[in-house]
Amino acid sequence: MKCDIAMTRVVSPISPIWCPGCGDFGVLASLKKALSDLQIRSKDTVIVGGIGCSGSIHNDLECYGIHSLHGRLLPTAVGIKLANPRLTVIAAGGDGDGYAIGVGHFMHSLKRNPSIVYIVMQNGTYGLTKGQPSPTAVVGYEGNVDMPFDAVLTALSIPSTTFIARGFSGNQSQLTDLMKKAILHANSNLGFGFLEVLSPCVTYNDTYKEWREEIYDFDAEKGYDPKNRVLAFSRASELVSQKRIATGLIYTGTAKSLETNSLNSEVPMALQDISLPANIPRYEELLRDFR
Amino acid sequence: MATKLEQTTGTGTSLRDDICIMVGGQGGDGSLTVVNLLGRVFRSIGLNVYDARNVLSRIRGGHADGIIRASVRDIFSTGDQIDLLVAFDEEAVQAGISELASNATIIFDSSKGELSEKYRKAGFTIFSAPLGNMAALSLRKNIFKNTIAFAVLGRVLGIDDTLLRDVLRARYEHRGKEALEANMKALQIGHEFANQSIKEGPYRLRHGSNDGKILATGNEATAFGFLVGGGRFFVGYPITPATDIMEWLAPRLPKFGGVVKQAEDELAVINMGIGAAYSGARVMVATSGPGQSLMTEGVGHAGQAEIPLVVVECQRVGPSTGEPTKNEQSDVNHVVYASHGEFPRVVVTPGNAAECFYMTADALNLAEKYQLPVFILLDQALCQNSQCIDPFDIGAVRVDRGKLLTETDLAKMETYKRYLITENGVSPRSIPSQEGGQCQVTGNEHNEFGLVSVDKMNRLRMMTKRMKKVEMARAELPRGVNFGKADAKFGIIGFGSTYGAVVESMEQLSKRGVSTRFHQIRTIYPLLEDDLNAFADPLERIFVVENNYQGQLALMIRGVLRRNERIDSITKFDGASFKPKEITGAILTAAQSKRNEV
Repeated sequence: MKCDIAMTRVVSPISPIWCPGCGDFGVLASLKKALSDLQIRSKDTVIVGGIGCSGSIHNDLECYGIHSLHGRLLPTAVGIKLANPRLTVIAAGGDGDGYAIGVGHFMHSLKRNPSIVYIVMQNGTYGLTKGQPSPTAVVGYEGNVDMPFDAVLTALSIPSTTFIARGFSGNQSQLTDLMKKAILHANSNLGFGFLEVLSPCVTYNDTYKEWREEIYDFDAEKGYDPKNRVLAFSRASELVSQKRIATGLIYTGTAKSLETNSLNSEVPMALQDISLPANIPRYEELLRDFR
Repeated sequence: MATKLEQTTGTGTSLRDDICIMVGGQGGDGSLTVVNLLGRVFRSIGLNVYDARNVLSRIRGGHADGIIRASVRDIFSTGDQIDLLVAFDEEAVQAGISELASNATIIFDSSKGELSEKYRKAGFTIFSAPLGNMAALSLRKNIFKNTIAFAVLGRVLGIDDTLLRDVLRARYEHRGKEALEANMKALQIGHEFANQSIKEGPYRLRHGSNDGKILATGNEATAFGFLVGGGRFFVGYPITPATDIMEWLAPRLPKFGGVVKQAEDELAVINMGIGAAYSGARVMVATSGPGQSLMTEGVGHAGQAEIPLVVVECQRVGPSTGEPTKNEQSDVNHVVYASHGEFPRVVVTPGNAAECFYMTADALNLAEKYQLPVFILLDQALCQNSQCIDPFDIGAVRVDRGKLLTETDLAKMETYKRYLITENGVSPRSIPSQEGGQCQVTGNEHNEFGLVSVDKMNRLRMMTKRMKKVEMARAELPRGVNFGKADAKFGIIGFGSTYGAVVESMEQLSKRGVSTRFHQIRTIYPLLEDDLNAFADPLERIFVVENNYQGQLALMIRGVLRRNERIDSITKFDGASFKPKEITGAILTAAQSKRNEV
């Protein structure tokens, strides 16, 4: 791979806005390490941030970054990827962003299987607005009466999902490994790399201790077969009923990616020659449709 | 067969250079097919056509009709009245009766009984025959009644049988031998039937010379303009009356390396569009009022993040679900003021299919040169009514990508700032994959690098930079077109599909001794006030014609005219387009009151 050394000074990453001890620091560190280990070039990487504390992560890396509207990071990321499938596209946001206001796009991304990575920093709370219950909040948290949403079970229930994993920001080495796997999955045009990260909010919902006790790590279980969807669902569902949380690479499968289904041009849309002279004869042919 | 074509009244043959025909029945009766076939026939004899459909928002059943007008002249409206009605049931007569000319002709399908007396007005010529029963008897299918009606229509209009056969063949020859043969048989039955009683039809049509013209709806022209303008990514969600744009592009765009994506909702549509545009593709989305309501936040985001995007808004009757298939122009405020906060935008308003094509291609340039959202505001009639226009001049289209950088440009820069403050407010734009173009793009207020900032000075500089772009774009925005006499005392201002009715109304007014000028607005935001004032200054009175209740355009114009006490609104909000005579009537009444005052 040719190594370009950019002479142009570009935006420098800023220091994260997070509280000391925030789980998102672990996510950022793992993401940086994964990108670096995989030698993915900064110029070809786009981080799409959502809204919320976690949704500022794109500011903390030196690559292309776009901050989407609240809940809309997935369609934004899908648009970016369709226009240029050569890019490494990583959408990263919180669970309020992804499972509440943006849950429709989450479902359809699971269904569509776009070759992007989606990292959800799950903490059970809306930290930036000072601690309202989020869709993953347990019953009783800040008056919450709704059962928590389990995105892994949801993802497992959709037949075209291809990569479902859950990490914990308290387990850096596993998290980095899962991120690399998710990125490789997406960059191999295999589809949607969904990675939920248990990323505690130390200020409004400090769950480090509980989560350490509740986690059940499939990666550590000898003989666990992540290719068996039925088993994965049954095991993950059983854990939920035991008030435990499945982590690790929970499921990988195969389904055609959105790009495979939608794109037919060698040259990405974003880089095509759309000038008039290049296309005039073929445009003229279409005039016949109006005769 | 015992049945005879029953003709009542009728007086000789009239030679027409303009005729309007309505074909109606239940949805599924094939009325629109007859309209389509007639269009082919008329265009074959050199006439211009304009057609409109009146359908309910349901797949089958319910009253449905199509109206087609043919003329030796250029026409962009269905005119004032219907000369000839083909009715497959009495409901169709009821639907059309108020618009029938006093000497109209009705071809009535009497399969379910003769036409009631109350519809048999003096002056009407009525051809009554059990078309459906005939079709069922001879061809075992009631549906062929529309082809039988087409044959009878041919005789009523004095059109050569051969031409009808050719047109029918062209339509059905690709649909299998059976369909073709059955339809040709139906045509023959219709002709033989007509032979029994129509010696000479009530009409003869003057042939025209439109040979080179093409037929397009505004939606089709918009879609094609997008493609030719370099558009490669279209994302949409089905919504009447915008869906045709997606339908037209779906089979064609992929052949050019593009993609048509149907998303899960309009929130996804606008944000997917934003993603693809940010990535470097030329993007358009299309929707109607309800979809625009959902896209609104995204449009503001594109404005703030400076992402080039074209949004087509095909207006229909609103609010809420309103009347999905009916015409209205009530989303002017909706797009001009869409989204919270302030950001630069442009709203253009083509008035016919030709303008849809050129202005869409140019909207892509405007969006990219000024890095802002550009709305193309259409209305149902413009979107869906077919019209004859000169062929699109593809060579006249320009693709101007503005300050889009290359890697070579970037390599020459010492520092790259996505939101660099520049003289005209436009910052050079990199796209992902370019070395040296790495940046942050955000809807938060940001500094030149795209990093979040709440610094007061920065806010002032960034707001000014962005808002300035509209002013900088002003010189190249589509200017209004003036029609009519320079010395007229009365002026008319309008936009979109009212163009056709206004132009005809001006002729009617001229015949009544009232000369008028018409300013067809093609950029509704920002209003090009110099042009508007130049147009308005010499006028005594100005009538703003628009399909809405509040007179939304009139209110905007009041804000920019030097002397605005002369403005009157002519509005219509019943779901139908203006008829020329309605505008004529309103202006004559005003002119009369003026004289009385004096």
